[in-house]
Amino acid sequence: MSGIPIRLEACSKTFDDGTRALHPVDLSIAAGETIVLLGPSGCGKTTTLRIIAGLESPDAGGRVLFGTDDVTAVPIEKRNVGMVFQSYALFPNMTVAGNIEYGLKVRGMAAADRAARVREMLAMMRIEPLAQRRIDQLSGGQRQRVALARAIAPRPRVLLLDEPLTALDAKLREDLRGEIDRLLRSLAITSVYVTHDQAEAMALGDRIAVMSHGRIAQIGSPQDIYFAPADAFVADFIGTMNRVRGAAADGRLRFAGGWLPLPAGAVAGVAAAAATAPACLTDVMFRPEDLHLVDAAAAQFAGTVLSSFFLGDHTRLTLDAGGEAPLVARVQQRRRFDGGDTVHCAVDPQAVLALRPAAT
Amino acid sequence: MLLCQISDTHIKAGRKKAYGIVDTATMLERCVRQILALPQRPDAVIATGDLVDFGRPDEYGLLRELLSPLTMPLYLMMGNHDARDGLRESFPDHPYLRQWAPFVQYVIDEHPLRIVALDTVIPMQGGGELCAERLGWLDRTLSARADAPTVVALHHPPFVTGIGHMDRIGLKGADALAQVIARHPQVERVIAGHLHRPITQRFAGTVASTCPSPAHQVALDIARDAADNYVLEPPGFQLHWWNGRALVSHTAYVGEFAGPYPFRVDGQLID
Repeated sequence: MSGIPIRLEACSKTFDDGTRALHPVDLSIAAGETIVLLGPSGCGKTTTLRIIAGLESPDAGGRVLFGTDDVTAVPIEKRNVGMVFQSYALFPNMTVAGNIEYGLKVRGMAAADRAARVREMLAMMRIEPLAQRRIDQLSGGQRQRVALARAIAPRPRVLLLDEPLTALDAKLREDLRGEIDRLLRSLAITSVYVTHDQAEAMALGDRIAVMSHGRIAQIGSPQDIYFAPADAFVADFIGTMNRVRGAAADGRLRFAGGWLPLPAGAVAGVAAAAATAPACLTDVMFRPEDLHLVDAAAAQFAGTVLSSFFLGDHTRLTLDAGGEAPLVARVQQRRRFDGGDTVHCAVDPQAVLALRPAAT
Repeated sequence: MLLCQISDTHIKAGRKKAYGIVDTATMLERCVRQILALPQRPDAVIATGDLVDFGRPDEYGLLRELLSPLTMPLYLMMGNHDARDGLRESFPDHPYLRQWAPFVQYVIDEHPLRIVALDTVIPMQGGGELCAERLGWLDRTLSARADAPTVVALHHPPFVTGIGHMDRIGLKGADALAQVIARHPQVERVIAGHLHRPITQRFAGTVASTCPSPAHQVALDIARDAADNYVLEPPGFQLHWWNGRALVSHTAYVGEFAGPYPFRVDGQLID
């Protein structure tokens, strides 16, 4: 099985009541690539997936291409896509093998070929012992493995997964996430995966498209998205971000607790603004793991511990550094922190981000 | 809880007219617009079969498009013109279509009124049937929640209408269905389609009814030898209102009609 590239050209979606679910989106997905559409509910990720599936048609002018085929007007059952949804939608009164075989039967595959393909799918999903079980005898995780096998069995050109793990509990979610990752890599099938869970997105996506208000806010590798978020929305949505407001001058951002280094790229713009408005207030952001505890002499700012949670491999601190909101730090010192302790902090210049506000 | 019933939409691919006359696609569009313009928004819509004309995927593709403005939950059912696999493949995002196999029978528990949908289809035949397997499922399903007010929906009505040519493609197993329904007094109503007309009959201690079509209606001729004809009477749909005590059913007509006009001026009936 190998994938084909997918291209969306100016695909927008306006519902009959005038709601704009999706602003014109252009998106190219490479053959065999796994792309994750990530965002909060209402961001347009599911609408995008449904347009690729053929469950929704884009507004006039939008085009969906599978390779060189324009499939915009092709109905879902002719697009040859495999789909996995949050709800399993398996026949409860049929066996596991029967459920996997169903789609092959519908497509008119001969009995011997069907049996061979079902065996192959059972092996691939490591569920051979379950072949003759009924669906209502399976756990949620086992059911979702069957749903994956069923979707893949007819050798679809594209695999679409809509929040497939959302209904499962945390531990199972992690196991199955690993399983899906292994599967997508070994099949090299072009896949689109919709989720609101950033950990899933980071683990599975070759690239992640972070969506907000019907637009793609940023698209890139998990590393791009995490280390170089395009705007404050992306930064806030992926992982935890500390935000500090202060006055920028001389390459530093001064605030109540002390100062932070301004990132090199931001200095020019901020300095120019500062020239015209001397008390220019600006926001910068940094990740909890980029806050380091240092000696008082080397400190950029000081903070008071508000709370500390020892989590084994690290300690999560919330600090009052005189800013509007407390700061979160993820530190690995082997010591105990108590509320009221004073800690001395520094952040590397390259870890500080000066971001444009989120697009609205 | 307001349950809107539409039935017998008979969509054809490429918006082709049914029987060369009936523009079923445009008529369904009008019906959908009217449902959305109702002063009370239905909580769910159920389509009681004969969704398309020949059970073809391209017909279901157009049906999907025509129904897409409906933002409330939509439940699709099998009629004698439908195909089980075609329906399921074209609506993969309707998981209830896979609650049972081979029959497209399902139960919806997420509303104050429980909805139980049956599949009466015998492939390639106009008439319908409820076999022991389907009725067994119904009996078990109704037993599971004896306290929940329930509407049972099926395409072929379980009674003789008097319109001879339709009765000849009626339902086998209606008596057995009556025995099951009679055991479950929480069934408030048995709703059906197939007849393209609103018709009611007392049935197994409850009421059984059929729904008009948003397209063509079967000619009203209560005769054994009635001609197999349809008429373009006002198209319609039904609203089943569960008020917490009883299920009250209204038939609505699709079209532009004069009015509304007031009955009174200054509190006085207009003379």
